[in-house]
Amino acid sequence: MNLESGAFLVLAAAAVATALLALLVRELVHTILWIASFFIVLSGLYFLLQANFLGVLQLGVYAGAVTILLLFGVMTTRRRIFSREAATGIGPASIVLGAGIIAVFGILVAGLAGATTGSGPNSYPPALLSQAVFNVYGPWLLLVGFVMLAALGGAIYLVREGRE
Amino acid sequence: MTDPFATAGFLGLSGALLVIGLFGILTRRNFILLLISIEIAINAAVLNFVYFAAYAPSAPIALEGQSAAVVVIALAATEIAVGLAIVLALNRVRGSINVAESSELKL
Amino acid sequence: MVFGWADLNGYAFLVPLLYVLSFVIVGLFGHRLPRAEHGGWVAVVLAGLAMVVGVLIAVGEMVNPNTWTDTQYVWLHTVGNGTGTFPHGLELIMGTLVDPISALMLIVVTVVGFLVLLYSIGYMHQDRGLARYYAELSLFLTAMTGLVLADNLLQFFLFWELVGVCSYFLIGFYYERPSAASAAKEAFIVTRVGDIMFLLGVFIYFYVFALVGPNGGWAANGFAFALGGHPFLNAPGGYGVSLLFLNAHSTILTVAGIMILGGAAGKSAQFPLHVWLPDAMEGPTTVSALIHAATMVAAGVYLLAVTSIFIGFTPTDSLAIVAIGGFTTFFAATMAVVQPDIKRVIAYSTISQLGYMVLAVGAGFAMVGLYHLFTHAFFKALLFLAAGAVIHAVGSQDLFKMGGLGKSMRFTSIAFLIGALSLSGIPPFAGFWSKDDVLSQVYGTLGTHPAYWPFFLLALAAVFLTAYYIFRAWFLAFSGDHPRDPNLPHAHDPPWTMRVPLLVLSGFAIVAGVLPYLPAFGKLFDLGADVPPPPFGFSDALVSVVSFGLALAGFLTAYVLWSNGRVYALPERSPAQPVRQLLLHRYYFKAGFDALGLRGIYLLSRIADWVDQYVIDGTIRGLERAFGGLSGRARRMQSGMVLDYATFVVGGLLALLLFVLIVGPYVLHLWGG
Repeated sequence: MNLESGAFLVLAAAAVATALLALLVRELVHTILWIASFFIVLSGLYFLLQANFLGVLQLGVYAGAVTILLLFGVMTTRRRIFSREAATGIGPASIVLGAGIIAVFGILVAGLAGATTGSGPNSYPPALLSQAVFNVYGPWLLLVGFVMLAALGGAIYLVREGRE
Repeated sequence: MTDPFATAGFLGLSGALLVIGLFGILTRRNFILLLISIEIAINAAVLNFVYFAAYAPSAPIALEGQSAAVVVIALAATEIAVGLAIVLALNRVRGSINVAESSELKL
Repeated sequence: MVFGWADLNGYAFLVPLLYVLSFVIVGLFGHRLPRAEHGGWVAVVLAGLAMVVGVLIAVGEMVNPNTWTDTQYVWLHTVGNGTGTFPHGLELIMGTLVDPISALMLIVVTVVGFLVLLYSIGYMHQDRGLARYYAELSLFLTAMTGLVLADNLLQFFLFWELVGVCSYFLIGFYYERPSAASAAKEAFIVTRVGDIMFLLGVFIYFYVFALVGPNGGWAANGFAFALGGHPFLNAPGGYGVSLLFLNAHSTILTVAGIMILGGAAGKSAQFPLHVWLPDAMEGPTTVSALIHAATMVAAGVYLLAVTSIFIGFTPTDSLAIVAIGGFTTFFAATMAVVQPDIKRVIAYSTISQLGYMVLAVGAGFAMVGLYHLFTHAFFKALLFLAAGAVIHAVGSQDLFKMGGLGKSMRFTSIAFLIGALSLSGIPPFAGFWSKDDVLSQVYGTLGTHPAYWPFFLLALAAVFLTAYYIFRAWFLAFSGDHPRDPNLPHAHDPPWTMRVPLLVLSGFAIVAGVLPYLPAFGKLFDLGADVPPPPFGFSDALVSVVSFGLALAGFLTAYVLWSNGRVYALPERSPAQPVRQLLLHRYYFKAGFDALGLRGIYLLSRIADWVDQYVIDGTIRGLERAFGGLSGRARRMQSGMVLDYATFVVGGLLALLLFVLIVGPYVLHLWGG
């Protein structure tokens, strides 16, 4: 067991744990804290995979911006921010579905048990990535821009004053 | 597990995170928790992209995967913004963000 | 470069184009002009220009006899690959073909069209919707000139249909009158029966002739085709229609010939598709003149003439054409004998005269048929326009109310008399020469085709009837001292816009028969050895004498019974009374068609209705009930709760995963091995 392998195990366990905790803790503010940790753990996994740019992006966008947004949402919708409603009970349909999904993924992952990668992860400089994003996949980016514009318009429409 | 980055490990983690996200989507009634669950599921997908990009046979393919990850992250952030707008609107109109109480999707 | 006569032929497209221009101008802006007649003048001027072009083209044909100018515009072109249905590819062409007969038809159409438009200025001045009238008339002439100049059957068919739709508009011009609206529909639907047959014929020709030859072998102006004058036929690898080739396809070509005959019978109102034409009298008289003289009905005969080269070589088709033509000649004439309506008398005479043309074409004398068409166009237009002047003056079409009009309308009565003399075939008027040619030529074939005998005799008998009914009409309207109905307004001769056309047409009705005797003009009837030109003259003295004698007898009978204001009333108990009723009811043809339509079609509709209600609707109602119940249950799924929908989404995801990962591969595995 070398260093990377150990790091992966730790990070994987942390990711699962933080994700579960985020959904299970009773206080909404704690949820925000756990989900922030989850995002940070994931960025660690990206660094481990030599995807440094994406790691930084994950830290900035998720651990930073999204977390703040979520926190803001919690603050504006709760008078007493340290309270939350009880979660629903888990219905039989959910149990069946969950079991089914877990089983399918289990089968899939088990089928890959022997597969190895052979070498370590490849690293690409951010310059190459930006070239790919802006040149090769420029149209996609444009499309994403349009989607974001539409989302912006929709969000403004939803929250504007005087709408009942 | 001798190989630190065995495929099964990453895919297992990704699958587990997706299942956790689905679990949250199906069981949480708080809209914000719903959004968080969706984010977890999306991150599971991004992890897949990043993993396979790291082991892609050539640079263009790897960069395609990473580009997709960038796009997904951007869209996820957008989605959070819209989701929060819905949260605010719901809160103002109904005074509650319990998704179990709203049935406006019904005709 | 000197602009020669031949160069003019390339501009033949100008003729329909001028009419289109008139149609567009009058149709779009006619109602904005200060006075409604102005639109008419625009149409008259443009039609005059078209007439000049048309006549110049005809003169060019006379100067350079037997030339063929085919200006083609490729409409659709595919390249063949040497195999398949069209080994040489396929080329559909729009074009203008100027040859002697299309030049001849151009004269007829443009001259009569111009005169009718001019006449309309005076005749129609009280009517509403004049812009519509002149626009539609122009479009009608567009269609007819386009048809005459068509260089293939497909284009011919397109303009043919345009003629049909224009006739619908024009016959139904007084659309407020239910009878006019129904007559328009009748004309459209009855000719449509023929049109469908025509189209089938076109398809068959296409099938036969497109299989050989370059460019898909698609050129079907009959004369051009057969004479090899068509540039298409001289193209490298061209083939020319050999008798061998025609014989190899004789069966299907016979069928095609019958189909073409059906189309021509519909348009030219031949038995049994003649019913629409008398009812088409509901349109303005000018329209009747145009339809019956130069345009619509002539199209059918023209079609038979240009395709006679395909049709004529099969004896079955020839006999069918002769039979229909000969029978119609007599059949229509009998109905005209008892008609009290001045326009309808002339209408039946049109059917009858068209029968002569069809008879001639069927017997193998296409040019003789066209000769009669040429003379008929003028004297029939004259008769209609003269009748129109009478109707215009007295406001009635009932012959038995008229009488004594010869005094107050001397000009009109003389014009009508000239038309009547010409129609009944009294020498030296135009009708005599062409009708005599028809009869003597058919008589000449009787030796080799004894089957033509009965139809020749019917056509001969029709000569007597023709003279009788047209002079009956003339005597009833013009002879005597005063109108039989004292309520008729005081009649007077028409204004100059109506007189000029009558004058010009009177001139033609006198001389049109001998015009082709001029060597230059005769060139329009000369297509070379394969298509015999009319003999122009007394080719058979016996037939001439007999037909002249019959016409004279008809005239005398009419004189004895109807002249000087006399009215011959058939006694109530006369044995001829049932015959009279039969004729007045037009052999119960219309009633029969109506019964067929009302009873037969109604029964069919009832059956269809039952099937619709109980079988089709029943199925649908059952389905509806089933789906209604199902959806009643399914809608409970739609709780409107986000979480429920999320559950469905996840369930769908699971199902998809299961299918793609497990079920699909398994099924493929079973399939593959």
